[in-house]
Amino acid sequence: MSAVSPDGATPLLQVEDLHVAFDTRQGAVTALDGVSFSLAAGETLGIVGESGCGKSITALALMGLIPAPPGRLTGGRIDFAGRDIARLAESELRRLRGRDIAMIFQEPMTSLNPVFPVGAQIAEAILLHREIDRQAARREAVALLRTVGIPDAERRATAYPHELSGGMRQRVMIAMAISCRPKVLIADEPTTALDVTVQAQIFELMRRIQDEFGVALMLITHDMGAIAEMADRVAVMYAGRIVEQGLADDVLDRPLHPYTRGLIDCIPVLGKAAPDGRPPALSEIPGVVPPLHLIGDGCAFADRCSLAEPRCRRERPPLTGRRHGVACHVTAAQAT
Amino acid sequence: MSATVQPILDVRDLAVRFALPRPRLFAPRPHLEAVRGVSFALAPGRTLGLVGESGSGKTTTAMAAIRLTRAAGGRVLFDGTDLLTLPPEAMRRARRHLQIVFQDPYSSLNPRERVGAIVREPLDLMAVGAASRERDERVRELFRLVGLRDDQMALFPHQFSGGQRQRVSIARALATHPRLVVCDEPVSALDVAIQAQILNLLRRLQDELGLSYLFISHDLGVVQFLCDDIAVMYLGRIVEHAGRAALFRTPRHPYTAALLAAAPSLARRKSAGYRRDAVVRGDPPSPVAIPPGCAFAARCPRAAAPCRDTAPELRPVGDSQVACHFPL
Repeated sequence: MSAVSPDGATPLLQVEDLHVAFDTRQGAVTALDGVSFSLAAGETLGIVGESGCGKSITALALMGLIPAPPGRLTGGRIDFAGRDIARLAESELRRLRGRDIAMIFQEPMTSLNPVFPVGAQIAEAILLHREIDRQAARREAVALLRTVGIPDAERRATAYPHELSGGMRQRVMIAMAISCRPKVLIADEPTTALDVTVQAQIFELMRRIQDEFGVALMLITHDMGAIAEMADRVAVMYAGRIVEQGLADDVLDRPLHPYTRGLIDCIPVLGKAAPDGRPPALSEIPGVVPPLHLIGDGCAFADRCSLAEPRCRRERPPLTGRRHGVACHVTAAQAT
Repeated sequence: MSATVQPILDVRDLAVRFALPRPRLFAPRPHLEAVRGVSFALAPGRTLGLVGESGSGKTTTAMAAIRLTRAAGGRVLFDGTDLLTLPPEAMRRARRHLQIVFQDPYSSLNPRERVGAIVREPLDLMAVGAASRERDERVRELFRLVGLRDDQMALFPHQFSGGQRQRVSIARALATHPRLVVCDEPVSALDVAIQAQILNLLRRLQDELGLSYLFISHDLGVVQFLCDDIAVMYLGRIVEHAGRAALFRTPRHPYTAALLAAAPSLARRKSAGYRRDAVVRGDPPSPVAIPPGCAFAARCPRAAAPCRDTAPELRPVGDSQVACHFPL
């Protein structure tokens, strides 16, 4: 099995060879193609990639939220707490969702209900999963708002989502997500819609929550800076597959896949160049991510890759290596 | 900036206010002060970055400067002529020199029009190029200039990726040989790999065509790459204005320092025990009820009594202009 289990610890969540297909006008396309990874309690796994690489689909699959039709799980397992949750009935999934595995979305405005006060929405999540009366749930909602750093929590609990700023709304989402003490928290681009100074606060909050509750965090992002700051391990996705995985330091300092290298090099990083005069031109990854229905038998990155060899266009490279793995014919020998 | 060159754009004391609904019948109409006394100059062939968080007034400032939003006060000298007082027909003629690239290449291109026609439209509107054949040739030239192929002219916007659509937007903006291009977060909606392509393209076009950019962004990495001078805005005012080297090496305003500290970086590693000590707490105050004194005071780690009473004016500190009672 190529999925890493760091230090041999039993992972909390183990995803093996996950396949998801979508029916489109071009026929069935493979959105996830053999995705495997594991997640241990208290650790943060970063999933990074461009739009359309399958990172959000991976999250939705874990939550049993793949829209079907047109989507469907076509293979693989998701082992969580001793059972394969990919095969659970909807009623059982519903008990799991929110209680054991919770999710924070990118846009807190569209994921909160606009016609209910935020405190009531958090209380509702608590009431769904726990034997507790309404009064106690309300009190707990206020306590949670305090935990996530909302000032004047008592009063803010009665506010509607539109009365709060973007940062406050994301704090409410986090309060709701941790309300049932989940073991796994999935955060899908949690700070992308926020200003940088607010982003910094949300990252700080997520780190604190993780320290306090020991939750396993899966952070989906396109931002390598967020990976550096938040993640213990990272999986880089491209066109529905994991193309590189390993410790965040290994992947950021010694990227093996040409795509990972390209992603890191093309960011206009502050202070990278001496700010005197103009910084040099950015390095580019040529071309664009291919549409899923046009991916042939070879490596999906081959057409954009400067290292590509004839066999890259013929056969798809498997993910090799345990500690620092890569799916690339050219650099496979460097995997560890 | 050298004083001998006449700036292509000279904005003086620009103000923009938006009327809000009356709270009660016959109550006075409250106003939102979106831009308050903003002044800056942009030299030909250079790039000025307007930086700030949402609601800081950076887009409104740029839109008022090219008269797409009505200014409540101030002057905007374009090549020495005040745009704000130009009669409508003269303003229309001036527009061929002032173009915009918008943030979202999905909503800023007409989905029912072929991209060739989209790029050609400004030529027809401004009657640039005499014959129809001349305009067709110009469109082909523009497509090549931004890295698109001639045969893509007959396609519709939805047949392009986000990066290619942004290339179409850039081609449209350049059609009339503008001298000033306002770039309003032109890469924020794009994936990082595509961002690099578009940023390199914008710089190459500037070098080849001698364009001046007014570049709006919240991403300091992008700003450092493209902008010669940077104005940092907070709640409708410029709080710091400096050249690239000065701003990034020695930020003087605590807000600029906070923005730099909050910007993502590969060097801040969890493995090395990095924790944020988020010095800036909370959100910017509402522009409807701007506090007296410095607007940043409530979030500022250096704030003292004078900050809450008196609004600081921009003044020179080192190589920068800073509006702060206690600059760094």
